[in-house]
Amino acid sequence: MAHASAERLNFIERTARWLTWRRFIFALSLLMFLITILFPFYWMVSSSFKTRAEIGGREPVYVPESLRLEAYEELFDPAHPSYQEFGRNVLNSMIVAIPTALIAVILSTLGAYAIARLRFKGKNFLLNGILMIYLFPGVLLIIPLFAMVARIGTFLGFDVQDNLPVLILTYLAQTLPVALYMLTNYFRTIPSEIEQAGLIDGCSRMQVIWRITLPLAVPALVSVAIYTFMIAWNEFLYALVFLNDHNMFTMPIKINAIYNDPSPRPHVVMAASTIMTLPVVFLFLALERFLAEGLAAGGVKG
Amino acid sequence: MTSVTAPDAAPKRRSRRWNSLDAREARLAWTLISPTALIVFGLVLFPAIFSVWISFHDVGLSNLNDVFHAEFVGLDNYREVINDFAFKPGELPEEWATANLGEKVSIIFTRWNWGAAVTSVVYSFAATALTVLVGLGASLLLNRPFRGRGLARATFLIPYVAPIVSVAFVWRWLLDPRPSGVLNDVLMNLNLIDLPRAYLAERGLALLIVIIFEAWRYFPFAMLMILARLQAIDRSMYEAADVDGATTWQKFWYVTLPELRYVIGAIFLLRLMWTFNKFDDIFLLTGGGFGTKVLPVLTYEFSFRLRDFGKGAATAMILLVILVVFLALYVGVVMKNVEED
Repeated sequence: MAHASAERLNFIERTARWLTWRRFIFALSLLMFLITILFPFYWMVSSSFKTRAEIGGREPVYVPESLRLEAYEELFDPAHPSYQEFGRNVLNSMIVAIPTALIAVILSTLGAYAIARLRFKGKNFLLNGILMIYLFPGVLLIIPLFAMVARIGTFLGFDVQDNLPVLILTYLAQTLPVALYMLTNYFRTIPSEIEQAGLIDGCSRMQVIWRITLPLAVPALVSVAIYTFMIAWNEFLYALVFLNDHNMFTMPIKINAIYNDPSPRPHVVMAASTIMTLPVVFLFLALERFLAEGLAAGGVKG
Repeated sequence: MTSVTAPDAAPKRRSRRWNSLDAREARLAWTLISPTALIVFGLVLFPAIFSVWISFHDVGLSNLNDVFHAEFVGLDNYREVINDFAFKPGELPEEWATANLGEKVSIIFTRWNWGAAVTSVVYSFAATALTVLVGLGASLLLNRPFRGRGLARATFLIPYVAPIVSVAFVWRWLLDPRPSGVLNDVLMNLNLIDLPRAYLAERGLALLIVIIFEAWRYFPFAMLMILARLQAIDRSMYEAADVDGATTWQKFWYVTLPELRYVIGAIFLLRLMWTFNKFDDIFLLTGGGFGTKVLPVLTYEFSFRLRDFGKGAATAMILLVILVVFLALYVGVVMKNVEED
């Protein structure tokens, strides 16, 4: 007994000695930051499991009584009276985001290799021009794009509105500059002697890129793919302007539509938001060590 | 004579050989980069020029398919936008003449219509300043080693990577004007307010909330960049300061901040431009109401609510002019300093 109490005293003493004012303030600020950051996400996920009664009550329900799937049923269950066909929207988002990521990686790899390794006239002009474009406002471009693509559409005979490939093309224009920038920087860190050796051994340029440079650049390629995926997955303005038909809506536009529905159903909005948010957050957290660097390079323009 | 031409000719022949190799390399380079350049310039540069054209023409929904025959209207679109009540600062209320200083401040922030141009500038500067400040705080917090630092850093990044639509709607719901809104509930339980407030539907307050939202969402970007710079600061400078008996505050003020000057300047201007361009955040939070109408939202409203693309393009051009000023500052001040470093 005496031993145990002595040990406890020892523990308190040690804690007291550890807990200086500076450490206390540090821990407190860290805690404040974490709560401010995480509470909205807790609120989003927990609200998605609430019932309509819990949502519409006079006081907020901080912890839902049980995990009710009412909101998710409205999104996915065809038997629900106001079924939202959200599966369709999830699919649309994937149809847009995955090709954007893949095409952006392929095209920017080629371009970035050229800028990092090859000498040609107008290189700096080209690179600076592409980077300047990254600072252009999206709203500035959407009007002429809308008019232009509409004109081209009538000319070539396809619909501009509700056309997911058109959306992919506009996302590529938004993501390629930064993808190019990130990959160029990465290629520059790979010593060119390795490639020289390959060239001397009789490989062609394309073989060098394919067999030597690309395998070394896998981390950068993965992070570019994830960034471009995230940009396309989260994009709002262009999808809002270019999509009219509910069947073509990507998730952000669909969530906006549910939110602006005359009968407010926050739990459904939160459920849909949860489905849209969790994959990107988990993807990001899982690969955070690769990705943080690219984020500082402006990976997500925001 | 021969002694002059002979050394001249040799490099020439070599350079021609190099040229052909150079030319081959350049051809390969252009082949590799042309798809990217084509997409980017075709979908950005050309539309940007086209948008200048539209801003001088009368383009509406009726002639959108026949846009090249739209009527030339000169500066009419610009004139209309600049005289629009949503764009220019409104009149001050009558009480202004008799109000004392405190009342005047309150009138400016809660009752006066600033117009989109002024709102945009004030909002961008305030939001950027707050973002950088919070980012600086967070980076100082994460700069010291502690258990779980990697996890904390990852968590700090979440607001920045989460989709804007979901975070904007969560915030709107936390700020719900009914008593069941979380902020209302908390503040009423703490007896700080008696009646629930509509945070996003009060002039002045709405703008403040939007600015706080920006800082909440975008501070991780500033944090990461400052953190990278912090970790590159030479340890010996702190040791020297310790020898001189400097306090923590002095070390921060005289060692850390000067080292961070350029990176903070760069982040500030970059974020300023991005915030200035930003449409989604304000559109989703307030719809541009209650003193939060910024130029991108006004552009959207002219173009896609009123379907007056000429006026929309003119608004966007005005936005671009202000942006170019920022950009000139960026290139002139920040890039120059970075190169000098």
